[in-house]
Amino acid sequence: MTKEHERDEKNMKTLIIIPAYNEAENIKRVVDNLIKDYPQYDYIVVNDGSRDDTKKICRENHYNLLDCPVNLGLAGAVQTGFVYAYENGYEAALQFDGDGQHQPQFIADMLPELMEADIVIGSRFVTESKPKSLRMLGSNVIQVCIKLTTGVKITDPTSGMRLFNRKMMEAFAYNMNYGPEPDTISYLMRCGAKVKEVQVEMLERVAGESYLNLKRSIMYMLRMCVSILLIQRFRKKWK
Amino acid sequence: MSIVLRIILVVACVLTCAYTLRKIRKSQMQIEDSLYWILISFGLVIVSIFPELVEKFSELCGVGAPVNFVFLVMIFLLLLKVFLMSLKMSQMEDKMKKLVQRLTIQKYEDIKEDTESEQKVDLEACQEEWK
Repeated sequence: MTKEHERDEKNMKTLIIIPAYNEAENIKRVVDNLIKDYPQYDYIVVNDGSRDDTKKICRENHYNLLDCPVNLGLAGAVQTGFVYAYENGYEAALQFDGDGQHQPQFIADMLPELMEADIVIGSRFVTESKPKSLRMLGSNVIQVCIKLTTGVKITDPTSGMRLFNRKMMEAFAYNMNYGPEPDTISYLMRCGAKVKEVQVEMLERVAGESYLNLKRSIMYMLRMCVSILLIQRFRKKWK
Repeated sequence: MSIVLRIILVVACVLTCAYTLRKIRKSQMQIEDSLYWILISFGLVIVSIFPELVEKFSELCGVGAPVNFVFLVMIFLLLLKVFLMSLKMSQMEDKMKKLVQRLTIQKYEDIKEDTESEQKVDLEACQEEWK
């Protein structure tokens, strides 16, 4: 038997990509937890030109750090991680928030699903029901948009905990308009990518400020709806 | 078009051309980018000298006053320019992003290499001592 055949999800080379923008209060807790309890996964912090001590903390603790000299935005930071993951031969790349919302114990549940899917989304609402709040209304609207255009029900499209295989890594790393957002997911699903969801739990943000305020949320929703419903269908089919 | 408007147009065009050429002389503008402004200026000068051209077209399109037709064309050209600039900006942002990402990864690998070679030197020093 060759080595390729023995390979399964347990020894899949996995990289956790942690984009961090002004996460000085959270980054140590998040990364220390990963180093201590989950040494089987590699991780890399992508500091997206933070103006606080994020970089200093990472350097002092000798974390694996990709340090962007300018602010590229969340999509650009995650993309940096994908380029690194792809070029270093990783078989799975996980997008993981630097604010401590995501919990690494669920990665083990997500990895096996990657055997049959291209993208695995860590969803809060596969078995749990969605609470009724303004934020979840937004989530529902995007869910309906995706259902309308792809026919697939994604229960938690805005979840930022997503696992990608190598094929997806390459697509996300080198192309324009591949932000790690629901609109790209819907586009890829149309192109034949398989997406699965796995039940996970998420915590509330412990410290620091959320990126999404009301104005940004409205702009985000507008962008997602227009993008998913109108723009994505005119894109050239991916491979 | 009134004679005053025609004179104003010609003067404005000459000034635009002069300013554009000055920017090229001082190496502040690429020739590719200056062509648009110089060609527009030329076009406007021709229209100012031969207004009959515009009168024909405005009659054809049913635009009342020829001067309105000139404005219409100018608005269209400006929108076109803004659109093309937006396109170029997208591409430039993409290029910048790629450059920054390349630089970031390069820097990480350099640091990793440095620490690895330092460790190697340390190891060799230890082995020397053992001997």
